[in-house]
Amino acid sequence: MKRRAIHYCFRALTGLSALAACIVLLGIIGFIVSRGWSALSWSFFTEEITLVGASGGIFYNIMGTLILLLTATICCTPLAVGLAIVHSVYLDGHPLRKKLTMLLYLLNGVPSILFGIVGMVLFVQWFGWGKSWLSGGILLGLMMLPTVTITLIERISSIPSRYLEAARGLGLNQSQLIRSVIMPQSIGGLITGLLLGLARAAGETAPIMFTATIFAGATLPSGIKESPVLSLPYHIFILAQDSYDPIVKTRLWGAALVLVLIVFILSLAALPARLRIHEEADHA
Amino acid sequence: MKQSLNYTRLSAWFFTAVALVALVGGLGLLILDSIPAFKHEGLGFVTGTRWFFRQEEFGAAPMIYGSCIVALIAIFLAAPIGISAAVFGVEFLPSKWRLALKVTIELLAGIPSVVYGLLGILLLRNWIYELFSPFEPLSGDTLLTAGILLGIMILPTVMTLADDALRSVPGKQRLAARGLGLNASETALYVSLPQALPGLLAAILLGIGRALGETIAIFLVVGRQDNQWPTSVLSMKPWLESGQTLTSKLGGSESNIAYGQPLHWGAITGLGLILLAAVIAITYTGLWLHQLALRKHEA
Repeated sequence: MKRRAIHYCFRALTGLSALAACIVLLGIIGFIVSRGWSALSWSFFTEEITLVGASGGIFYNIMGTLILLLTATICCTPLAVGLAIVHSVYLDGHPLRKKLTMLLYLLNGVPSILFGIVGMVLFVQWFGWGKSWLSGGILLGLMMLPTVTITLIERISSIPSRYLEAARGLGLNQSQLIRSVIMPQSIGGLITGLLLGLARAAGETAPIMFTATIFAGATLPSGIKESPVLSLPYHIFILAQDSYDPIVKTRLWGAALVLVLIVFILSLAALPARLRIHEEADHA
Repeated sequence: MKQSLNYTRLSAWFFTAVALVALVGGLGLLILDSIPAFKHEGLGFVTGTRWFFRQEEFGAAPMIYGSCIVALIAIFLAAPIGISAAVFGVEFLPSKWRLALKVTIELLAGIPSVVYGLLGILLLRNWIYELFSPFEPLSGDTLLTAGILLGIMILPTVMTLADDALRSVPGKQRLAARGLGLNASETALYVSLPQALPGLLAAILLGIGRALGETIAIFLVVGRQDNQWPTSVLSMKPWLESGQTLTSKLGGSESNIAYGQPLHWGAITGLGLILLAAVIAITYTGLWLHQLALRKHEA
């Protein structure tokens, strides 16, 4: 009897924890949607902000965030592909391979504010760019790098070995093998990795607030030097600190809702491929 | 055999080199810039409790204290809930439901920290202020507020990693335990949890690592009050006062004005270096345990 009582208690306790976690997190989403929903309208997406967020829309903030994400993608892709090929092919069986893996995971844990601080010295001061979309894009690209590379490496290692054997049997050398088998077979991993990385980069404020983005007064950038962009996270960050005006607040929640939607769309797009990889090794 | 110029090989190594140079360069820059502060303060930079940049006094201890307290509150909230929720998912839920739970939680892990900060500033800080009004806090911007907010933020991380750890325990061991007459709870308590212990520790450590590095959400609710050094490190009273963490200091306006004065900027980058060292050490240990846990069950 005592055993059964413990069993029920344990199950109830863990179940309550799971329920609590879900309720808190879903509650957060529900709250953002309910508060921000009324701010969404056509003009909210197509106009620029005026009156410190009290009227107008977030067109240039969305554009700015998209410019940063596109730049990050362009910067990150060649580096990630290079790293993944070196890791999977050229360092195959080499002791440095484990070191590289560890480095990637450690890089993934580096606080994002440090990217901002280093970026501020390098781009803003040394390069004399001032605040520029390009420095923000490069920093976000570097932040995404471990996620993209690790996802790509996982995909490359899941290429069936018979493909590689067949290619070698046909007389392909190592470079041809990389170009005609490994890269085309793992392109899905690159895309999944980029989506995951972008989902994280889209909401980052710390790396871009000193280097790339301002609150108001920027449209689309026309050069590199002194050409900041507006962005959604920074918009929310600034308005959150000094706004008690209810109209501003509604628009603030609206901006938060748009940002959350962008992030969710990116991570949902990456979901099917991730589930396939992660659930293959299910114990059940 | 003659090796001709191989563009595939060359470009792969080239981009790898670019990435590594960027990382090493960034680290080097952080170290180089912080030298003036360490020269000026010596070890006192880490142990000093006073930070007055106009008097050229730079002591990071109150911020280290703030970071530690906030991360500890966060992990004390997130670890029990996250781990037991993962236990429920792995040990009691059918595979399909477990997957749904995991997907929901992972999706929610993507909510940007600035949005958590917004929730903190508009909701949590008022709740904390009202809830703890008997203790007469000066405002709702406290270390406790930051810690609770951070706990919610790292909950998905801890839960996902705990789920990985529990799932790496082979199903055969569960079957064997059930065959011996243990019920599902006993199997979880006496077989899965002890087996998954290194992985669960890894989940906790990696959660702490994330908590230490989080900036924006904390920045908005911690109050950013310098020089809050408690009379006793174990006292809980400062939890209900404003404070400063390493990250909130780095994210503040002082970073903007410090550049140009080597000593002041050195102190700011020095804080960055302390933060980096702490996060790397904790993450490294966590990753080591994580790999240990995975390897244990591969054989």
